[in-house]
Amino acid sequence: MDILAQPIEVDSAAKPGFARPQLDLELRNIRKRYGDFIAVDGVSLKVRKGQFVCLLGPSGCGKTTTLRCVAGLEEPDEGDILIGGKEATRDPPWQRDIAMMFQDFALFPHMTVAKNVAFGLEMLKRPKAEITARVDQVLKSFEIAALANRKPGSLSGGQRQRVALARAMITEPRLLLLDEPIGALDYSLRETVMLELKLLQKRSGISFIWVTHDQNEAFSLGDLVVVMNHARIEQMGTPEEILQRPATAFVAGFVQGNNVFHGRAAGTSDGLLAVDTALGRFHVSSSGSAPAAGTAVSFSVRAEKMTDLVGDEHGNRVSARCSAIEFFGSVRRHLFERSDGEVLKYDQFGAQAARIELGQLVTIGWRADDTVLHGMAG
Amino acid sequence: MGWKVRLNVTTGLLGAITLAFLAYQWLPILTLGLLSFSGPSGGTTFPMNGVSFHWYRELWQASVMNDFKPPLLRSSLLALACALTTVVLSVMAAQAMRGRFRGSGAFFYLMLLGIMAPGILVGFGFAILMRLLGIELAWNTTTFLVQVSWTLPFGFLTMLAVFNRFDPRVEEAALTLGASRLVTFRRITLPLVLPGIIGAALFGFSLSYDEYPRSMFTTGPDGTLPLAIMAQLDRQLTPEIYAIGTVTTMSSLVAVTLCAAGLWAMRRSTAGRSP
Repeated sequence: MDILAQPIEVDSAAKPGFARPQLDLELRNIRKRYGDFIAVDGVSLKVRKGQFVCLLGPSGCGKTTTLRCVAGLEEPDEGDILIGGKEATRDPPWQRDIAMMFQDFALFPHMTVAKNVAFGLEMLKRPKAEITARVDQVLKSFEIAALANRKPGSLSGGQRQRVALARAMITEPRLLLLDEPIGALDYSLRETVMLELKLLQKRSGISFIWVTHDQNEAFSLGDLVVVMNHARIEQMGTPEEILQRPATAFVAGFVQGNNVFHGRAAGTSDGLLAVDTALGRFHVSSSGSAPAAGTAVSFSVRAEKMTDLVGDEHGNRVSARCSAIEFFGSVRRHLFERSDGEVLKYDQFGAQAARIELGQLVTIGWRADDTVLHGMAG
Repeated sequence: MGWKVRLNVTTGLLGAITLAFLAYQWLPILTLGLLSFSGPSGGTTFPMNGVSFHWYRELWQASVMNDFKPPLLRSSLLALACALTTVVLSVMAAQAMRGRFRGSGAFFYLMLLGIMAPGILVGFGFAILMRLLGIELAWNTTTFLVQVSWTLPFGFLTMLAVFNRFDPRVEEAALTLGASRLVTFRRITLPLVLPGIIGAALFGFSLSYDEYPRSMFTTGPDGTLPLAIMAQLDRQLTPEIYAIGTVTTMSSLVAVTLCAAGLWAMRRSTAGRSP
């Protein structure tokens, strides 16, 4: 797929009213409610030029509504939307410099593939000859030239996905909005398509805003991952930041492989905060101002930071019975029953020999430095 | 008895019931069709008195008194006008219902009132109202209005069902690709609901074409075809009536077949073809 290898002239650079050309998209305090239900609550976001942004969250968290506000398919009750530095909050979708890809692709069933792909250029009222040439070029680069005269009804899922992508990208919009774009594809196809899309995004320089509930997608694709829950942004940052320093108990619990603990602060000593939980007292490294004694706090430890070979440096310890062992190849995950009803996860490097048996009572420990106190990071 | 045998018996039984029902539907029309070919001296019941095209010739060379051609023309024009009006209004009304506006529930039931209300009373009441307002009754004004109130709900329900199964994301895709609402409606929505529109038009046409009770009081001096047939039945019963019934049934059949063929061709082209 070498779309945009030879880009045709697009007038986006010549559009008037550029105040902040360095940002492709800026959301300022977007709010959207449906009756009593608040779908989006004060979402602010900045997308730099050519960034790959993933909106990640459980269903109903407001990520799709946010995307639809950017597209102009929903109008926010409050807040501003700037596309390419230009105020676009009240603009209808067809006047915005965007394209959108839908989960089931929403191809026009009564038009051929070529007609589907040409639609955006026809709306721009380009000359016929130019449209034909450009469609030919794009169909070739997306490897769907052979399907040009077929109708969407006769295409496979993977072919539809390519047609939808070609249709959205042919006008080279500033922003491409993707609503669960590979959710309708077979599992075996997803990995390949993800890689292709990532490469395509880098080459085209078009900013992608990708809505998904699948964290693998978000972490492997996004330059910036925005985790949403209950209509709000919980945390945004690079995949590394979110994986290694979850900012809230929700993010830590939502991201796979975290052990989340809730408790109350019980004073600081030597830069370590003591936290009393249902499982006992743990020590958590806390940079900056520690919460006052008695405040409710939560922290998390990644499953691979746990160990069953407890040494002096592993000040935090829990004894628990192993209830399940799952072998994933790269890691061996052990599940323990915690006395507070939760599950404790411990990932052992898969190449190492198995040391724990099912039903065995084991002492698991971890270092205070490997804990992440929530509510502290950005 | 094995389940296969039971299955065969059930299939045969259901098939027989279906055939009996179809015969029950079509035999009366077939009877008319047969009797319309009676000889010149022909009566209006079996057994037939000879076979001829006499009554079709009568129909064509009719006197002014019992000439069916002007009422036929009026009814056809009226039915076409009703079909067109029904299509336009029902598409608009169903499109409005997609948005769930305030009072849309009341609007829905008020639309359906046209189906529930007894036709003869609606026609009579309408005629009284027109007289009150001093408006002259005529087939192309008052009859048209009262018939649209009858055909519109059917078109409305048809379009509602069509829009129910319509994927609004296809329209949204067009909007995000730079098409305004009007262009989206013309290029995307309209072609996709066209089968439903043809259905609504057929309803509009056929319901208006054979409407009697609503036309009875509202038509004025120049009657429609059902009124003319009824008047003829009052005067004398000849196989000419059967001839006209056969002619209009055949023309309806041809029209419906053409529509069905058109729909079939459209569906085939939407399903896509191999390269």
